[in-house]
Amino acid sequence: MKWSLTSLAGAFTLFTLAGMPAGAQTTARKAVPRAADGKPDFSGVWAGPGFTHRVGPNDTDTPSVTNFDPKNWAPFKPGGEALFLHKLTGDERHDDPTAYCLPDGFPREALSPYATQILQQPGTVTFLYEYMHFFRVVPTDGRPHPKDVDLTFMGDAVGRWDGDTLVVDTIGLRPWPIDAFTTGFVRYHSDALHVIERFQYTDPTTVALEMTIDDPKIFTKPWSQNFQMKLHPTWKLFEQICEENNRCQVGHCEPSDVQKTPK
Amino acid sequence: MRTKLGLLAAAFGLLAAAIPALAHHAFAAEYDGTKPVKVKGVVTKVEWMNPHIWFYLDVKDDSGKVTTWGFSGGPPGMLARRGINKDVLKTGDVILVEGFRAKDGSNNASGGNVTFADGRKVFAGAAEDQVPATKE
Repeated sequence: MKWSLTSLAGAFTLFTLAGMPAGAQTTARKAVPRAADGKPDFSGVWAGPGFTHRVGPNDTDTPSVTNFDPKNWAPFKPGGEALFLHKLTGDERHDDPTAYCLPDGFPREALSPYATQILQQPGTVTFLYEYMHFFRVVPTDGRPHPKDVDLTFMGDAVGRWDGDTLVVDTIGLRPWPIDAFTTGFVRYHSDALHVIERFQYTDPTTVALEMTIDDPKIFTKPWSQNFQMKLHPTWKLFEQICEENNRCQVGHCEPSDVQKTPK
Repeated sequence: MRTKLGLLAAAFGLLAAAIPALAHHAFAAEYDGTKPVKVKGVVTKVEWMNPHIWFYLDVKDDSGKVTTWGFSGGPPGMLARRGINKDVLKTGDVILVEGFRAKDGSNNASGGNVTFADGRKVFAGAAEDQVPATKE
């Protein structure tokens, strides 16, 4: 009998606990911004992976270069390491094309220490990247990638909803540095790179972003890295022009007028 | 002299507090991380422009010769995200700047650390800039 009572008590506790997360979930569902169609609404200006998220007074945050961490990588395929890790040559067109104001390309653009604005409409999610004014317009109506995709810097992205998670699938990326790492080597992805991003709110101003890197020419299997995004209600995108006053491009400095005047 | 010492002490404090170096190749492409520079002078011009702000300093050497140094700081937007706006640096300000020399050997440098005459310190660099190391 005693056993039975304990069991009942246990069962009751279990029942109560089982009910709790559901209740908490409902609260969370209400708390995160929602679009008219009931989907979580990711619209807003975000500090993406390229920030420390040490949010200071006046809605500030700290930009910080973010790269892929080797501890997350899957093992290389035979020859994969040589495809991925290119020794620096001293030519910035190879070592870091952004030194010539060439694009970051995706996924490096998404890791840049600049803001990202997301505009969500039924059937479309648009990412506006502050760094060099890039964008991705992602259909979320369930369409597949086109059969024949040209290789581009930002690739071809299609999205879908997995419950409250926005899933963005990108292919068609031209071989290019995958991130900003340039110590001894630069990391080039292949033309087979397939990136899967999963965006999920963890609280009303925080999104967990899981990025899966599937590059079957380089790695034995897909691997993932987790990032965080913070919503900044007071932010707007700034202009970011690489060529405006790029005075020491690849190490050759143009003197300014005040440096030309004899003292 | 007292002020100068104070400034140096403040600069040392700043160095100690500096964010660990995080080299980015756009930095390495333009500046020599092995050639630190530390000068004090009067701000003669500020270019609060993309892709990085620049500010110019008239620096007098022991013989009285004035050289105009150019320093590159962070992108205007990136500084704004940290709460630093263009009012922070003005023509006529006396500042101590620490950074790394341009690779071409000209009187230009990255200018990651700025200390004002009143001891205020501003890390005006970009996220990808190498910051003077914490030692010595």
